[in-house]
Amino acid sequence: MISDIVNVIFCLGNCVLLVNLRRMRLEKCWFCSSTVYPGHGIQFVRNDAKIFHFCRSKCHKNFKMKRNPRKVKWTKAYRRLHGKDMTQDSTFEFERKRNRPERYDRNLAENTLKAIKKIDKIRSDRASDHIKNRLKTGKVQRQKEARKQLELGIHLVKAPLALAQDSSLCLPKIKVNVSQAQTEENQPMEE
Amino acid sequence: MIQPQTHLNVADNSRARELMCIREAVPNTPLERSEVITAVIISTRKELKRDNGMIIRYDDNAAVVIDQEGNPKGTQIFGAIARELRQLNFTKIVSLAPEVL
Repeated sequence: MISDIVNVIFCLGNCVLLVNLRRMRLEKCWFCSSTVYPGHGIQFVRNDAKIFHFCRSKCHKNFKMKRNPRKVKWTKAYRRLHGKDMTQDSTFEFERKRNRPERYDRNLAENTLKAIKKIDKIRSDRASDHIKNRLKTGKVQRQKEARKQLELGIHLVKAPLALAQDSSLCLPKIKVNVSQAQTEENQPMEE
Repeated sequence: MIQPQTHLNVADNSRARELMCIREAVPNTPLERSEVITAVIISTRKELKRDNGMIIRYDDNAAVVIDQEGNPKGTQIFGAIARELRQLNFTKIVSLAPEVL
């Protein structure tokens, strides 16, 4: 994130006010890796001068309990470690900690804001694709199992008399003329 | 929350090791055991709120022994220091500090 010390000069008639707005930086929560916005959370300074940022008391309390974020399932650290979330991508390189304040340039600021939005969109699309791909094999497996269950349990869907007359296998999408009593037996089939 | 009877760690190399807070302001001088001395608190376990919304908490309650004018008695300071000291004109302490947070 670009963070700069902004010197704003207000001219009020004869009086000139110099307001020094302090630097704003979006930190990452040490425990869950979410962004900590200004006014949120607590910073803890350990005796070796290492600073820990926390986004909310939940993370702070977990830290005090000496829990390892890499073992706590809902943290980004765990998810990245266990391959649940995308880890390597070129979009991550845009977000780096920069310590040099840059002189305010309107064009630069405007372009950066546009770029942030775009990069964010790209990154979140890629991240959701990553998750979708990860879940794909499970989805295929479940469909396979559903199909097999249908084959085995076709007698629950079609009346045995109808099945005898028309021996072709009916998948749920095809409309089947069944009586009311039969349709209630459809419930145990998976959706 | 530093109150009377609170024990504070000493974060400089004056020969004090631990202080007990008696009251909140001024008096006296040299440095012997069970002497009444002045010290300034540089970090607290209780959170500090800042105007920009930042809340900071340190790992221990520490103090630095000072003299009448607010100059530190020791020559070195250990550990991080709260930025508030700069605004309270403890400039010597701030300059000696390894880290001001």
